[in-house]
Amino acid sequence: MRTRMRKVTEWFKHKELAKKLAIIYFILIVVPLSIMIYFTFTIFADKLEQKVGDYQLQTLKQLTLRMDAYMEELDRLTLMPYQYEEIMAFLNSKREHEQPLTLEEIKDLNNFVTQVFLNGRIDIVGVSLFGEYGASYVVLPESQYVTTYSIDENATWLQQESLGYGQSTFVATHNIETVNGIQYPVFSIARELRVFDSGKKLGYIVIDVNPKFIQQILSEVTLGDREEIFVSTDEQQLVAAKQTDMMRSKLLELGLLEEFEGVTHAELDGERQQIAYVTSNITNWKTVGIVPVTELTKETVVIRNTILIIGAVCVVLAILLSTFLAYRITEPLRNLAKLMRKVERGDLLVAFPVKQWDEVGHLGNTFNKMVSRLSELGYLLYETEIREKDAQIAALQSKINPHFLYNTLGSISMYAEIKGNREVVTMTNTLSRLLRYSLNGRKEWVSLQDELNHVKGYMTIQQMRYEDRITFLLDADDELMDCEVIPLIIQPLVENAINYGIDRGKGYGEIKLICRRDEHKLVVIVSDDGIGIVDEELSKLQWKLKHSKDIGGSFGNGLLNVHRRIVLHYGEPYGLVLQNVEPSGLEVTISLPITAKKISH
Amino acid sequence: MNSTKWTQRIALFICFSLLLFVMSCAAPNGPVNMPGENPKVINLEYWTPFSGGDNRFMTQLVDLFNEENRHIQVIQVNSRLDDYYSRLRTTILSGSAPDVAILHQTSLPQFVQNGYIENLEAPASAVSLDWDTFNANILESTVYDDVPYAVPLDTHTLVLYYNKDHLAQAGLLDAQGEPLLNSGQSLEAFLQVLKQKLPPEIAPLAQPGTRIDSVWLWWSLYNQIDGGGAFYNDERTEVIINNEKALKALQYVHQLYNEGIIPPNINDAFKMFYDGQAAVLITGVWGTGAFEEVEKLNFGVIPLPVVFDQAAVWGDSHTLVIPTKHGMTNEKRNAALYFMKWLVEHGAKWAEAGHVPSMTSVVKSSEYEDLPYRSDYAATANYVAYWPRHVMQWPIVEILIQEFEKMNYGQQTPAETLKQTQSKINNELKE
Repeated sequence: MRTRMRKVTEWFKHKELAKKLAIIYFILIVVPLSIMIYFTFTIFADKLEQKVGDYQLQTLKQLTLRMDAYMEELDRLTLMPYQYEEIMAFLNSKREHEQPLTLEEIKDLNNFVTQVFLNGRIDIVGVSLFGEYGASYVVLPESQYVTTYSIDENATWLQQESLGYGQSTFVATHNIETVNGIQYPVFSIARELRVFDSGKKLGYIVIDVNPKFIQQILSEVTLGDREEIFVSTDEQQLVAAKQTDMMRSKLLELGLLEEFEGVTHAELDGERQQIAYVTSNITNWKTVGIVPVTELTKETVVIRNTILIIGAVCVVLAILLSTFLAYRITEPLRNLAKLMRKVERGDLLVAFPVKQWDEVGHLGNTFNKMVSRLSELGYLLYETEIREKDAQIAALQSKINPHFLYNTLGSISMYAEIKGNREVVTMTNTLSRLLRYSLNGRKEWVSLQDELNHVKGYMTIQQMRYEDRITFLLDADDELMDCEVIPLIIQPLVENAINYGIDRGKGYGEIKLICRRDEHKLVVIVSDDGIGIVDEELSKLQWKLKHSKDIGGSFGNGLLNVHRRIVLHYGEPYGLVLQNVEPSGLEVTISLPITAKKISH
Repeated sequence: MNSTKWTQRIALFICFSLLLFVMSCAAPNGPVNMPGENPKVINLEYWTPFSGGDNRFMTQLVDLFNEENRHIQVIQVNSRLDDYYSRLRTTILSGSAPDVAILHQTSLPQFVQNGYIENLEAPASAVSLDWDTFNANILESTVYDDVPYAVPLDTHTLVLYYNKDHLAQAGLLDAQGEPLLNSGQSLEAFLQVLKQKLPPEIAPLAQPGTRIDSVWLWWSLYNQIDGGGAFYNDERTEVIINNEKALKALQYVHQLYNEGIIPPNINDAFKMFYDGQAAVLITGVWGTGAFEEVEKLNFGVIPLPVVFDQAAVWGDSHTLVIPTKHGMTNEKRNAALYFMKWLVEHGAKWAEAGHVPSMTSVVKSSEYEDLPYRSDYAATANYVAYWPRHVMQWPIVEILIQEFEKMNYGQQTPAETLKQTQSKINNELKE
């Protein structure tokens, strides 16, 4: 995990600045946007479901209130017998089965039932009166009254406790049959009738009502395309349904409608359903509305998709915009980098167009200044180089053409050969080589071998001049021969030793040249046995070696020159060291780094 | 300079694409379809007073109509005849009348005179209802001052139903299975034989003591007497039923009750015959369809026998009307007429209930002729004794009913009854 993080960080570090910016922009836009979309939608969906639930509950409450108003109206009809003394008397009368009614009774009862029908709504289809002592008067649709029916003692509604207090009870929809055998679905309102004076039970009145009005009220409400709205009793007996009531029995199994009213959810019919229900105060019936949750959240899907599409479009736009901005912001930097590469390649004729005075503008400005300064310096350097070249050309012009010199020396050598003068031949040939080495070389680097050969050649000529007055001792390790050195650094020292050690001294002497290795250094020691240098002068010379950059003064001009070259080439720690030696003489030590590849530590 | 232009272009592009997006989002939210609502359907509330066996046939007809005509949906509301006119009066007076209602021909004068029902001339021509296709007698009863106020649906008269099993048991069926009534034997003697020969629990003639039935029988018999049937004076200001001929007819009716040919305390005579508890039933033709349904009932039907001098029988017509109310639209009127036209054209189906169709073409159709029993009494339409046309006719009949009930229950004699009735009605008419 951590390594991955580190990898990502590494990967990110090496990205282009523009890409970095684009990625950061992208993250800064997409992450909050996604979080916002997510929370907006989930909160919205939750709230919506809750609101829809509340709304459905309210709708069902309204529905129930309407039905209650209607039920109250019907309920009042069951109180009508109390206003008709004849009816009360009829119910109180003792009657045999099939005992015919008198004309007055028929008139009174018919009048009463007609009043019930007229006072009630058109959907009352039946009125029944049952006396405690055998009286019975039942009016059913499409039939004449019947006096032979008696109340069903086992009817569940008769068991209701509230009935005993004179309250009416509402009986769920059931079928009643006419004399012609036609079935009519009705729900009923029943009330126990009592005598106030004696507290005695007189009988019952039952009013049968066509449930189509309830159906009509239900059908005016739409909760959803696949809704189920119905009214049922506590025992889940159906009163009326808008269309279907397939889930009613399942509700009973689940025992979901325990409360007086509420909104609940359940898995019914293989789907999550929202169930809202309200219990009527009048009838104790429950108005139930069941709608699949997917039906309710149909709109939220549209909204969710809309949010997602807007989100996606925003993200795409954000990516485009952030990429564009990132590249726009870093464009001057990239231009600057391009210009810098040009400068690196040596093209100094560039200028960064400064358009704005922000950091980039300042940077560009500084760059411009730098480039102009650089080109100034370059010009100076260039000029110097040209001057140097010019000087060299001038020097060459002032010198004798070396070829002419070599040819002349060759001719001398041949003449000497013909004349049999061996010394002249040797001298001429050696001189020729020396000249070739010093004039033609112009190499930056030479091997120590070459350098020593040159010294040897030089010494050959000097020995001829000085004959036996000079002894030259060379002591060099063979393994050092391949070391690279800058040319013409040893010969001037030897020349200096001859000039000061022999010429100014006793006129003869010994010159020693030792090359050895001292750890990482190549040490070349040139010593003579001359008179040496006065201490005062020596210290002056040593100070000069250390501090002077001029090449001036008579003595030690060659030494100083060599020293400066070594220091310029290799740095301060290297160079020449002068010292007097016992019993007499001067020793000059060159220290150089061992730079040949062949020689290892 | 160049880059700022570019920036502007990109900003414009972004704005434009956002705008497009927002617009495309808004588009599908525009039209919202309301499911399950078809605004073109016209609902018609249709009130009927059918309490015999005939309501089921009307219900079947209405269902058939609703099925065939999706754009018009008829909602039938049926009440028992006892309360029907009370209810209808109340709704008309309260301005909430139904769109279509059945009215008996007898009630028409009252509704026409008071402007309770609409002139049907314009809507009838709108649905091209041809008045000439109706039986002229029946049609005439619906036209007032040349204006049609109702579409006649049928004619119904009293007929005599007999239980073949009981008649056979009493030896009163001839070889063809016809009752031995037309061979000079009087109705009374015929019924007496039934009374003697049948067990006491079987009613020789079933007639309720209450309600209109005895009034119908009296009116039929009164009209059978030569010169009988007078109801009003010439000015129609008074009734003149307290006369000898009326008394003669009423005494005949009373005797049937008095002698026990009609057992006392019958409430539902229809049900008795239906259940096989009566040998003979005199009631309207609407029983035919219901009795046919009963497997165990072996019955026949004949026109009401001529007891006195000539054939005559009470009859009435069911007619279809549009009660007047505020807010009735022409669209609804035409729909109502369309429904009425459809109903009378399907008269053969209605005839299954027992009624005689109002359209001559329907009566002549093989569909109607193929129905059994109906032809046995189709001729009764020719000597129907309608109630006289009078604004107060229906309330007057209700007074008749009340007084006759008293007679049937032995509270007054026929003579007293007619006297009482006449004075009560004349009191009513004076007001």
